[in-house]
Amino acid sequence: MNEIEELFLEMKDTSELMIDLAYSALLYNSREIAEEVFNLEEMIDELNANIQKSSVSSAVNDGNVEKALVILRLANCIESIADGAMEIADVVLRDIEPHPILKMSVMESDTIITRVVVDEKSVLADKTLGETKLTSKTGMWVIAIRREKSWFFGPDENTVLKKGDIILARGPKEGEEDLIKIASGRKRRV
Amino acid sequence: MPAVNDKTGGNMKKIKRFEKIRHEPTNVKELLTEMKDVSELITDLAYSAVIFDIREIAEEVKELESRMDKLLYQIRLTAMLATRTVEDAEQFSGLLQVASAAEDISNAAGDIVRLLDTKIENRPFLPSLLQKADEKIRIIHLPEKSPMSDKTIGELNVEAETGVRIIAIRKGERWVYNPGDSIILSGGDMLIVRGVDDGYIRLKGFAEGKRGLNNE
Repeated sequence: MNEIEELFLEMKDTSELMIDLAYSALLYNSREIAEEVFNLEEMIDELNANIQKSSVSSAVNDGNVEKALVILRLANCIESIADGAMEIADVVLRDIEPHPILKMSVMESDTIITRVVVDEKSVLADKTLGETKLTSKTGMWVIAIRREKSWFFGPDENTVLKKGDIILARGPKEGEEDLIKIASGRKRRV
Repeated sequence: MPAVNDKTGGNMKKIKRFEKIRHEPTNVKELLTEMKDVSELITDLAYSAVIFDIREIAEEVKELESRMDKLLYQIRLTAMLATRTVEDAEQFSGLLQVASAAEDISNAAGDIVRLLDTKIENRPFLPSLLQKADEKIRIIHLPEKSPMSDKTIGELNVEAETGVRIIAIRKGERWVYNPGDSIILSGGDMLIVRGVDDGYIRLKGFAEGKRGLNNE
């Protein structure tokens, strides 16, 4: 994977995580989650700056201006998507409680967000997210994990789940019940 | 080419929906929920259009983009009419900020598909830039005798069973975007899906009749 591809991978995944987190922040009226969206926005800016640099320098080297332009435009689009996520999260950081309709809309949309606790009896405890195959078995994608007082945002397949972890996940309504059963230990197979 | 969007109806229905929006009061919650749904769908569609260089999907993105303009306008009107106190106004201002952010996201998706207006020889690298993500966008062709044939998406419970979401389906010359649970799959359908690797492998194997949907 070349450098620009790697930067885009990071940027696209980050912008999507930001959107999931922004809606989660609305749903749970959580300042902590909203603040993370702002932190990630800084990362997006940095990634965009790096993409700009490598794309301009590659244009200088190979003289392919059109290619550099396409790359710059795409990076700007993804940056705009990330900005949208930030605008959403911003509503949570005001001193006024978000309108209750916001929460209802997040709950009623095609893709829902849900929160479950990993019980000590759960098959998820002490496994990595990759091992659990949670997403491919329930359709629920883990956005964040809260362990005691700390948050892990955007966990990957190597992230280990522990009993007592609070999992924040997004996915289809049909996947929610399964996730709840698995996390509570009522269902022993993922 | 006729296009059907399960959410917004076919072309004819679409026109009707817009009229409905103009004349009938619609509630803020439904408007906002639709805006959230569209803003998520439209980015997946935009990436798909660019990755696979599919004009029809790019056109659908542009249509959804203009639908979002209308939804935003309608939600603004509805919110203004519902505002009675300063507290209402403060809360609605936040709500409208979310609606407007969803519209910004849709505009960005529209800009993504406009990259296809660039000559193809200037963007051969574009698919690979977007193809390496946690959740990849890919194509599954249903063979004529696929076990998924003649079943609805809801019956198969595709997304919850595999973690893979069907974003669009090409049925012959016709496209169905954001297919709902009631859409019936047929042999020969081309599915554009988004999801994790292991779920994709399982769904593809099942679609091709090589394995069950649930077994390892």
